[in-house]
Amino acid sequence: MKLAQSWLKWHLAIAGLALCLLALPGARLFLEASMTRHMLVQFPLLALIGFWFAGALPRNWMRRLNLWNGYGISGLFASALLLAILMIPRVLDLALVDGRIELVKWLALLLCGAGVRLSWQPAGLLVQGFFLGNVLPMMVVVGYLFESSPVRLCNAYLLDDQERLGQNLIWVAATIGLAWFAILVRAMMRREAATALPTPSEDDPSTAK
Amino acid sequence: MLKTALLSASLAVAGYACSAWLTHDFQVWTAEGARRLEVALQPVAAPSVQIDGPGLATQALSQLLSDGQSVTLVDFVYTRCQTVCLALGSVYQQMQTTLQAARKTDVSARQVRLLSISFDGQRDNPRILQAYAARLSADQLLWRFVRVPDLKETQRLLADFQVIVVPDGRGDFEHNAALLVVNQHGQLVRIFDYAEQQLALDYARDLANASSLR
Repeated sequence: MKLAQSWLKWHLAIAGLALCLLALPGARLFLEASMTRHMLVQFPLLALIGFWFAGALPRNWMRRLNLWNGYGISGLFASALLLAILMIPRVLDLALVDGRIELVKWLALLLCGAGVRLSWQPAGLLVQGFFLGNVLPMMVVVGYLFESSPVRLCNAYLLDDQERLGQNLIWVAATIGLAWFAILVRAMMRREAATALPTPSEDDPSTAK
Repeated sequence: MLKTALLSASLAVAGYACSAWLTHDFQVWTAEGARRLEVALQPVAAPSVQIDGPGLATQALSQLLSDGQSVTLVDFVYTRCQTVCLALGSVYQQMQTTLQAARKTDVSARQVRLLSISFDGQRDNPRILQAYAARLSADQLLWRFVRVPDLKETQRLLADFQVIVVPDGRGDFEHNAALLVVNQHGQLVRIFDYAEQQLALDYARDLANASSLR
């Protein structure tokens, strides 16, 4: 029990420290100077910190949250909505010139990561698939738009940066899609193995659950 | 499950409201689009920053732009520019030719002027601007060139007109080049893409015409 408590403290401290590091003016300036770094480094790092924070939530909070988050639907839906809004090009420009928008952007990304952490397991493959089926095509479309637009969509960033970001967004979406598909296939194979063997043997890993 | 449905529904409403606000009711998706829409809805007064340029005494920009008679088409440039400003330069040359021809017959065309403002005020002194104007064969009475010598004031002007200048790392600048229509009272009333030169010119002439009739 004590061990778990101290581990939790470390957990929170590391997440807090990472957040402070990202909030340092130098780090912010560096990450936000390029469109690619802004969206593909700062965004995921913030979401990751949110993900990390949510893992340290106390049990009774989790229980209360879960009442509102059946099958992880609310959490994943919130994350998908936030991601969709954050991909509007105007947000990137506004975040640079307006401190309030920047703050809201940070909170939104933390929430996004937290939403995924709290909802991924309860969601199950079906809801996960629905979530990814929305978010990944959206990323691809936005990536394609960024890559193929002849004009700059953000006043603060250069055109070649925008093209690079577009290409990378498509690659990231494809990678996540493939990774999830691999997980899906593995789960299906396990399930099939479990049904094919009605009398499970002791060394079959699929019956460990 | 009812709670989940309720929460998801309210999230959807909140998400919709948020994106509607961000995109001005789904009309614009970029900061540039929002800037143009906002100016069209709510004119922006030119700030009273000090300017100078070839053939012009040091004065406030707001004073130069609000003589009560002429409508001004403003663009932002820097003289070393090799890319978008060249395009803007030729757009301005064409508009100058059109205006010079129209001046003979049309009163309203006499009240439309062109103004190029350099945002690189440290480098583009009046002498350099003079040479730049000569290179573009600008008609001094019609097309003027100014700079804002003070760096702070340059920043203020750029902020007021929402001009974003990004150094491209090779010693040049990328900026959201456009044609800015400023009315007789020194208010920025419309922003056009520089590909829409005819529209911008017609709009400016119409604005000049409307006031000369009154």
